[in-house]
Amino acid sequence: MIIKRALWTLVVGGILLFGISDSYAQDYYAYVAAESEDQVHLIHFNGETGKGTIAETIDVGTWPQENEGPHGVTVSADGKYWFVTIAHGMPYGQLWKYSTETNEAVDSVELGMFPASMDYNPSTGMVYVVNFNLHGDMEPSTLSVVDSETMMRLADIPVGIMPHGTRVGPSGDVAYHVSMMTDELYEIDARKLEVKRTLKLGEGGSMDHSKIDHENTDMDHSPVEKPTWADPHPTKPLVYVAGNGSNEIIEIDTEKWKITRRFDTAKGPYNLEVSHDGKLLVVTYKGEGAVGIWDLEKGEELAYIENSRKVTHGVAITPDNNYAFISVEGIGGEPGSVEIIDLQKLERVDVVETGKQAGGIVFWKQN
Amino acid sequence: MKKALKLLAVIVLFGATHTFAQDTSSLKIVIEPDPIVIEVGTEQQLKASLVNEGGETLPDTILFYSRNGGDLEVSREGYVKANKPGAYSVLAMRSGPREQRVTRQFNIEVPYPPIAEVQFKNVPENIYSKTTLDLHVDVIDEMDLIRENPDLTITSDNQSVAMVSHGKLMALKPGKVKITAESEGKKATLDLSIKNNPASSMVIENSETNIRTGDVITLNAKAMSGNGRVVDVPITYSFIAQPEDNLGQGAEGQISQEGKFVANKPGIFTLAARSGDAIAEQIIRVKDRNAAQDVEMVGHGEVLDVHTSDLWIWEGVDGRDYAITGTWGANGDTYFWDVTDPSNIVSIDTVRVDARTVNDVKISEDGTIGVITREGASDRKNGMVVLDVSNPRDVKILSEYNEGLTGGVHNAFIYEDHVYAVNNGRRYDIINIEDPENPYTVGRFELDTPGHSIHDVWIEDGIAYSSNWSDGVVAVDIGSQDSELADAGGSPENPVMLGSYSYPSGRNHAAFPFKSESTGDFYVIAGDESFPYGLPTRSNPVAAAGWIHFVKFDGWDQPKEVARYQVPEAGTHNFWVVGDLLFVAYYNAGLRIVDISGELMGNLYDQGREIAKFEPTHPDAIVPNAPFTWGPQPYKGHIFISDWNSGLWAIKLVDRPEQGTN
Repeated sequence: MIIKRALWTLVVGGILLFGISDSYAQDYYAYVAAESEDQVHLIHFNGETGKGTIAETIDVGTWPQENEGPHGVTVSADGKYWFVTIAHGMPYGQLWKYSTETNEAVDSVELGMFPASMDYNPSTGMVYVVNFNLHGDMEPSTLSVVDSETMMRLADIPVGIMPHGTRVGPSGDVAYHVSMMTDELYEIDARKLEVKRTLKLGEGGSMDHSKIDHENTDMDHSPVEKPTWADPHPTKPLVYVAGNGSNEIIEIDTEKWKITRRFDTAKGPYNLEVSHDGKLLVVTYKGEGAVGIWDLEKGEELAYIENSRKVTHGVAITPDNNYAFISVEGIGGEPGSVEIIDLQKLERVDVVETGKQAGGIVFWKQN
Repeated sequence: MKKALKLLAVIVLFGATHTFAQDTSSLKIVIEPDPIVIEVGTEQQLKASLVNEGGETLPDTILFYSRNGGDLEVSREGYVKANKPGAYSVLAMRSGPREQRVTRQFNIEVPYPPIAEVQFKNVPENIYSKTTLDLHVDVIDEMDLIRENPDLTITSDNQSVAMVSHGKLMALKPGKVKITAESEGKKATLDLSIKNNPASSMVIENSETNIRTGDVITLNAKAMSGNGRVVDVPITYSFIAQPEDNLGQGAEGQISQEGKFVANKPGIFTLAARSGDAIAEQIIRVKDRNAAQDVEMVGHGEVLDVHTSDLWIWEGVDGRDYAITGTWGANGDTYFWDVTDPSNIVSIDTVRVDARTVNDVKISEDGTIGVITREGASDRKNGMVVLDVSNPRDVKILSEYNEGLTGGVHNAFIYEDHVYAVNNGRRYDIINIEDPENPYTVGRFELDTPGHSIHDVWIEDGIAYSSNWSDGVVAVDIGSQDSELADAGGSPENPVMLGSYSYPSGRNHAAFPFKSESTGDFYVIAGDESFPYGLPTRSNPVAAAGWIHFVKFDGWDQPKEVARYQVPEAGTHNFWVVGDLLFVAYYNAGLRIVDISGELMGNLYDQGREIAKFEPTHPDAIVPNAPFTWGPQPYKGHIFISDWNSGLWAIKLVDRPEQGTN
């Protein structure tokens, strides 16, 4: 009886605690990189007024006469540090670590060619960064792994051509990314730091390379799906991939290592994120300057929301699943933007203009 | 109900995590052996255990991580292979959420192999009394590698005959002496017989005794024996200065041990050449170079709302004069100007492309074709754009070319119907534009050094001079026929490397070939780009750094850096040479015009060779009242410059008015 009562108290207390934290969350903060401005902005969104502002702008890079291109951003699990990849170097890019308390640089490490998207693994404290290397010859690239505390570059794992969109699985055991020019999903062993599995994303899914006669085939190897992002489901053994070239979302069952569903989408799905309750999928449509919000269970697009400008880039969903922060690059000299979408009302509630080419975006905290 | 159960599960899980999580502060990773010392060339399995406060070993998996690459290979399971001596740091980790994670950083020492041999190198056949020479010693270990910075002692067994000090041998008098070099117990011995110095007199043949600051003279000293014959003995050169201004100024000049002298300041200099007891002196009078001229600001094409990048000035097919300027970090605009009257620079057309930076702009020799480079395209497919500029008031885009260039083209050069486009900072692609509407790539040049990176390329007489940061200046034959030095049979389809020169700072950003009109010497002038003081912003227009390096080539395999031009607390960008005049865009120091006539030696800035400077500023500039000069181009008696903060300027050199006397 005592145990039962204690358990009930635990349940009610837990529900209240969760409820309170949701109801009273008013201030949301996210970092967004302005790639052609060499700046990172701290975005503040007031949930009560529905208004967003730039709370702080941080100049990044070290070379005033070159656009160094901050691309990906992520935040450590304890929220004390944020990280940004600097795409261009001489020739290699870098990963920089900043304090969230002061927004001042703490440390940096050189990575590969055009380090781009990345994710922080709370389980290992490591940051997994794809070296996108989207320029010049099409050649296999690497995924660099950095210890976030010492900023030691621990490994450069050989992966496919133009790797992009890396996200760590909920257990922290694996990290996923896609290889844009080989139409593949990569699963990385996040502890042993080696490739665990790959999956061809074309029709038919898993391709057995051993059965292909590479000498006598006129098979067109041009990429079709051109995948640009992978995000694992928070509770189910599923990964969602943005097929930027094939205009579709591809669902992969990671237990069967098979494609289970494909959803036709608007033009150019680029980044995507599954909501923390696993119900929604928010997809940026780079080719249309819009965002799609999908019901994952039904496989239906619930809303199609146009952005204020073109070239939609990234998405970060608040932990309470109330809002999605969308970065939009814009074109040429026009400012980029962060557009805040209310995921309950399925409508845009505010636009915060940023430096040029708003790209990588990550949620930091809510108060 | 289902939702409540899930929530319960979550709460219990959270509770369990916190309840059963170990306090990691009481846990530690123990590595065995400790300390770890592994001989180079050997392998060893390390053992790692997670141990609690009570010394109990916990059943956890520890993985190893190393960033030491091939020098020290470490597997995840702790198998170590030592390939190179050194001290290495390795990470061991019990991974898990932050509150459960345990890490330990530990060191592995791979000792240097024992010294196997000590060798004296390059010992001259004859060593004469009252001369000094450098001792060269190699310390070689058992892996046959030369030890860098070895612990080395060199001693003399007869200090009345020869002494050793700071690596130099001072031969004092004729006699036998044994010189011993020792490192870690290994020794090498030189049995020397110091000979009597045969020089009984010294002659300085130089006849130039009235020179200006910056003029280089060669003493041509000869040591003579008692019978009047020239003898081959080491000669030491030195000078005593008596400057006109003796109020605590800096170095008055310099003299090389090849017998070359240059003065920085006016005054009387006593130059000396000595070998043994033979010494000769020569008195030199040095006057001020009086190179300075004034600069007159002629015109300004204002660009105050965005940053301006490169420029090119040319004579159009209609005989008028035009300029093209790019924009940086903006909206992909390129501006065209009529500069026929440099005092009235008029904006006449703008071309906008999908880019955020148009970094470089070039015009073909016949004035009909333009090439602009693109960075920051919205579709990430950068490259170059070919323009019809035959009517600069109505410029047409002929083609956009990004085949293999999507990473961005930072610099380009047009030469004989080909564009040499610096591709993604890694190489330059060579693109045929005979049909400017249908460009196609015919070749490329890329270094094969680790981590190579290129910034710029400039072409003269069929030779491409690229600037490659730490790999320095690289000369490539792309169709040379009358090369100053040797040809290599190169072509756009088959670029062939001729030679290169790099310097320690690794900041090589630009290059310009230059044949001195006054001496006929051939130089490649290399410029730095460096920003050690942080980023310039509207509120902090800070300084750049770096200088101009004069590299004299007596053959493609014989480069020698002989002089520099270094303005303190400022940094170079682009530059241009006409005749024996150097025009340098010196970022925060504005434009500098330098007399580079005659032989070059030392820092030209100290020698009064600077003819003029001009600091373009504007109160409404994008960075107000601060010069940040990007590039110069001397043209038809004027000097045009682009300034990052304020746009296009035209200036001209004017003689200084004669000073009146009472």
